[in-house]
Order: sequence, then structure tokens, then C-alpha cells
Amino acid sequence: MDAVVKKIIIEVKKGDQQAFSELVEIYKDKVYQVAYRMLGNAHEAQDVAQEAFLRAYTNLETYDINRKFSTWLFRIATNLAIDRIRKKKPDFHLEDQVAGTEDLNYYSQIATDEALPEDQVVKFEMQEWVQNEIMMLPPKYRSAIILKYMEDLSLKEISEILNLPVATVKTRIHRGREALRKRLRDS
Amino acid sequence: MACENEYSHLIHKYLDEEMTLLEKKKLENHLLHCADCSGHLRELRKTVAIVQSASHMEAPKDFTANVMKQLPKETRTNQWKTWTRRHPYLITAAVFFLVFIMSVSSIWTGGQKEIIVQGDGHFVVDEERGVVIIPEGEVISGDITVRNGDIEIAGEVNGSITVINGELIYSDLTNGENYLASTGHVAGEINEINQVFGWLWFHIKSFFSDVINVFN
Ligand SMILES: [Zn+2]
Repeated sequence: MDAVVKKIIIEVKKGDQQAFSELVEIYKDKVYQVAYRMLGNAHEAQDVAQEAFLRAYTNLETYDINRKFSTWLFRIATNLAIDRIRKKKPDFHLEDQVAGTEDLNYYSQIATDEALPEDQVVKFEMQEWVQNEIMMLPPKYRSAIILKYMEDLSLKEISEILNLPVATVKTRIHRGREALRKRLRDS
Repeated sequence: MACENEYSHLIHKYLDEEMTLLEKKKLENHLLHCADCSGHLRELRKTVAIVQSASHMEAPKDFTANVMKQLPKETRTNQWKTWTRRHPYLITAAVFFLVFIMSVSSIWTGGQKEIIVQGDGHFVVDEERGVVIIPEGEVISGDITVRNGDIEIAGEVNGSITVINGELIYSDLTNGENYLASTGHVAGEINEINQVFGWLWFHIKSFFSDVINVFN
């Protein structure tokens, strides 16, 4: 995979613009997911994800070919998403967040049932619930949780993406996890 | 509750599998006796499972096309370089095809066939050149159709001209751009139907079946 990506990047750097579409194809779902989970709506997610690829293209000269491309790309995407959140909500604090109540009944039902229902409708509502809860987290915990549990990345990769020491990433994941757990228990 | 605060950090470490064997044993021992802490761990595990269960998302269908549309324009030389690098075989195929058309055309024009003329009026058939000539001053009152030959008009045609397997020759091209004035007058449409293409298709098909036989 990495070898294929490297080859494509060399082609793009030589001036083959069309080759870039292959990179977009490989990473579009992952980048879109990060953007969507961070921002919570499809329109902004598409905007930010597309912008991330455009920035990657125009700044490709600064990308170090010996490092992992996905890490570099995720870094662009998460930075753009965090910028977008800051512009939307200049004073974002966990304390400001008031829990939505509409999903709570559903949620306590899930919480008490050991086995999760397989039904598609239920699955969809579950998705919504997860997204709602993630949106309740402050952006710095949100990004750590998304990269860890939705993109399945290692702590080292997350620390490179967020430009933070591994220890800080760990703390953010712990706090994010704890916040989600409390909401799960209190609801 | 006090216990929860004290053990919270350890429980997270445990969850991340970042404990020494000794730390692990100690915590596991505590979990056996403390309902609060074992509950805490269970809830954390469930939280993680729920977050992970959120299935992976897909970008919208037109995502890649949208990105590609917004990229800064490539320079022309880059486009050509890129194209030739990506499609070297296509260039070879194009050159080959050109040669192929020319050779098939020569097969076609080499074949002798009888000239057939349909029309009303005076015309001359130059068998040697394979041309039907409407001499100056002559008028074809309706349509004229020429098959397997060219047509040269010095006179007039009141209807349309259809040339099958041949072409319309302008009798005097030396006058320059305005050559229609130097030829006769044509009132209707001029149709040139070239069956070379029909032939071509036939030859392409037989050519490729030959090629396949060679490779087999
Ligand atoms: Zn305890």
C-alpha cells in the first residue's frame, strides 16, 4: 500500500495531475469520516475534506516522501476541521454543553441491554447517538477519540497528526473516554 | 466514589494494556472486591465498543471529481507529457491505424468497377479516369447519382448530386479560393457516400481475426 502511494505521489510531483485522483480515491472515505465526526454535518464535512485534498495537492512539495502520507493528510484535515469549529464557536467549553434529551431513552435502553440489537434502524439510531455524543466533547478530546477509535490509528500516529507528545494524546483519550462514559451512565 | 477517583487512572492504563504485570495483578485483585471499580471498567469497555461500532463512513459519490475540478490548471506541456507517459500504447495504436487506413484505401481504389450513372441530361463518361463529366453549357434537369466513379461539373445540375464510392471533382481549382464559381452550378445538395468505411470495417475485422490466429 505504502509503495503504491509513494509511486502515485512521485507521479503527481512530476506533473501528472490525473494521478492525484488515485490518491483521493484511496483516502477520501477516511478523510471525510474525520471531517464528518469532527463537524457533525455532511455539508461542512465535504467542504473541509475537499479543502484538505486541495491543500495537500498545492503543498505536496513540502511533504516528506519518507513519512507516512496518511499522517500528513490527516494532519491537514484535522487542522482544517479544528479551524472551522473555532470560527463557528469562539468560546467552546465542555461546561457550555447541554445534553440533548431526545436520545436519552434510547440510550439507556442500549446501556442496560448487554447484547446490541442487529436491526438496521437501531443501528442507524446508534450511529446518530454516537455522533451526538462525540459532538459534545471539546474538540481536543474529540479529535483524539475519533482518530483512535474510528480511524483505528496508533498513539504514535495520532501524536504526529495532532503535533502533541504521546503522553498528551493518552491523557486526551482518557478524558474523552471518561466524558463519554459519564454521559452513558448518567443518561 | 472516592475509590473511583483513586483508581480511575489505573483503570485507563489497564484498558490501554500499558501496565506492568505487577500493577495488573494488583488492580485485578482490587476489581474482584470493588463493585464500583469493576463497574467503571465495564462501562468504559462498553463506551469504547459503542464508539467503535459506528460504521465507517463513505465520502459522497462526486467527491473525487469535485476535488479534481478545483485543482489548479495544469500547463499544456505538462498535460501532453502526462498523456504520453500514461498512454504510450495509444500513440503506437494511432500511428498504426493511420497506416492501416491508407493501405485499405489503396486496396479499395485499386479495384475496378463499372461506373453507373443515374440522371437526366447530357454527360460524358471518361472511363479511363473513372469520371462522369457534365460539360459546360449542359444542364441535368433533376438529381444525378454516380456510383463507382467521380463526378466533374462544368455545367449545371438542377437537383442534388449523390456520389457513391467517388467524389465531386472541381474542374478548375487553379482560380484559388472561390472554386465554386469556376465549376458549374449545383442547385441541390451534394452527398458523397464513401463505402470505403464499410470496406474498412470488413478489413479491420478480418485483420484482427488474422492477428489473433497468429498469436494463438
Ligand atoms: Zn474500587
